[in-house]
Amino acid sequence: MLKQLLQGNQAIVQAAERAGLGLFAGYPITPASEILHELVERKDIKVLQMEDEIASINACIGASLAGLKVMTATSGPGFSLMQESIGLAHMMEIPMVIIDVQRVGPSTGMPTFPAQGDIIQARHGSHGDYFPIIFYPNSVEELYRYTFSAFNAAEESLSPVILLSDGYISHLYETVELKDYPIAQRSRSPLGTSNRHFTGLTHRDSKPVTSSPETHRDLLAQLQKKCMETSRNYNFYEYMENTEADTLLIAFGALSRAVYQFKDKYALFRPIRLFPMTEELKDVASRYEHIVVLEMNAGQYCYQVERLIHREVGLVSLPGGQIDIKEINDRLQGLRQKLPKQVSVS
Amino acid sequence: MEDTTRFKRFLKEGNLPTPWCPGCGNGQILKSLAQAFEELNFDKHQVVVVSGIGCAGRSAGFFDLDSVHTAHGRAIPLAEGIKTANENLKVVVSSGDGDLLGIGGNHLLHATRRNTPITIVCYSNEIYGMTGGQASPTTRLNTKTLTTPEGNRDAPFNVQAIIKAHNCFYARSTTFHLPHLKKCVVEALRHPGLSFVDVITQCIVNNGRRIGFKDAFEMLMYYKNNYKINDNAEFLKDNEIGITRCAGV
Repeated sequence: MLKQLLQGNQAIVQAAERAGLGLFAGYPITPASEILHELVERKDIKVLQMEDEIASINACIGASLAGLKVMTATSGPGFSLMQESIGLAHMMEIPMVIIDVQRVGPSTGMPTFPAQGDIIQARHGSHGDYFPIIFYPNSVEELYRYTFSAFNAAEESLSPVILLSDGYISHLYETVELKDYPIAQRSRSPLGTSNRHFTGLTHRDSKPVTSSPETHRDLLAQLQKKCMETSRNYNFYEYMENTEADTLLIAFGALSRAVYQFKDKYALFRPIRLFPMTEELKDVASRYEHIVVLEMNAGQYCYQVERLIHREVGLVSLPGGQIDIKEINDRLQGLRQKLPKQVSVS
Repeated sequence: MEDTTRFKRFLKEGNLPTPWCPGCGNGQILKSLAQAFEELNFDKHQVVVVSGIGCAGRSAGFFDLDSVHTAHGRAIPLAEGIKTANENLKVVVSSGDGDLLGIGGNHLLHATRRNTPITIVCYSNEIYGMTGGQASPTTRLNTKTLTTPEGNRDAPFNVQAIIKAHNCFYARSTTFHLPHLKKCVVEALRHPGLSFVDVITQCIVNNGRRIGFKDAFEMLMYYKNNYKINDNAEFLKDNEIGITRCAGV
């Protein structure tokens, strides 16, 4: 089996190519640009460097409708610009992969520093209700593997699937075994074969229906069902049980690699599919007195965990791009003294 | 005898009526597009129509072929994605001046720079009609609208100059000059690079009646009397309609 030393962003490209990527449209942005740089070298993949991220995602939507597997890659500021069209892609049921290599925000923030500040943006950034499938690997090998999953989940759900990364793992170099994973094929015929009308308006049978609450509810329910059912086939997480521990630490992405350091004293849970949230977390959490989420933001996933397990959850918030083992240790110690003993309600 | 109704095969008559007001010119543009497809003897599966948001944005849904109704302003980059993915398709953008020149203006600039081989038909009614009559990028100087109660102080968008700056195809017509309008669309569809048809159309309800026109007929008579056809110009004057020359094509 072929092994290669790859940068995280390169691993995404290697996987996308093998998964059948036909067109990439994007706009340069740190720390995601290497994906664009790598792709322009590929003769069999069409690459459009567009005028902005809005044009990029819309070119992807068009190319996806025309039958190609498509991908775009960006970071927080560009991801914000894409949000309106992510909603459009859900309404028009467009399979596509969106890579968001997170950097410190809000706004321009610290472009070269890693962050996990787009968790809620990825889940809820567009207006209205939608139910995106979101993966967040924590190594170069995983970026490779879950890029395949993102493409497959997109085809299966006919929806835009988000693969989160961060400035740390996307710029990390690690050895990757370039395996071939199963690849899903497009289930819908391309543009130029029928008389369908794809619209962001509430619709039924290819026709806009803009004043029927019932039609809208039916449409939403159908979109939700489709994404939830698909997500069950991609129920990825890592659980490191610790029968001695009374506390479960939850972390993901770059930070979760530092949190492995604490596996002797704590149990660890790492969601890889961040959304829809994995149900197993309820059961795992019920075995520990304390639950602590560590994340490189002000608590975006922590609140989601609280909502899922109906318990107070401790937070170690580490924004600003710094991952420091001693700081994490000190913060955990400080937090443990404050956390009340809790009884599981589940 | 020639069957003059064959163009209807490109339209979803079952979806009629359109949501457009009585007197609106959009239906004439829709028909002209279908007639142009027919004149060029297109296969239905050869054409894709893409629109944005607004009154004209609803046009795509009335074509009996695969069509896409995008987010506001995004018809052009989406159409470019389609064309890049499948060069065999004729990709037609059918949308309004607010959509293409306002919110989507930057995409138009870059599409002309790239000279992507798509045809853009702009329903230019000089107003944001669907939202009630706010000034649009093509509203003329001193015109009173909902958002310019003292008269519009900003010059209208010089779309001809923008399109021709990158030597793309530019034609202008009106909803009065229907045979000419169809000819403009046919020639645009024949053009090998990016083509743009600027169609001046009447919005009586949210524009015309506020600026002194009694009805749509009066607006059409204004187009008839004001615009002269010149199909051999390098650059059209304000009171001219026509197909401009495109260097080197």
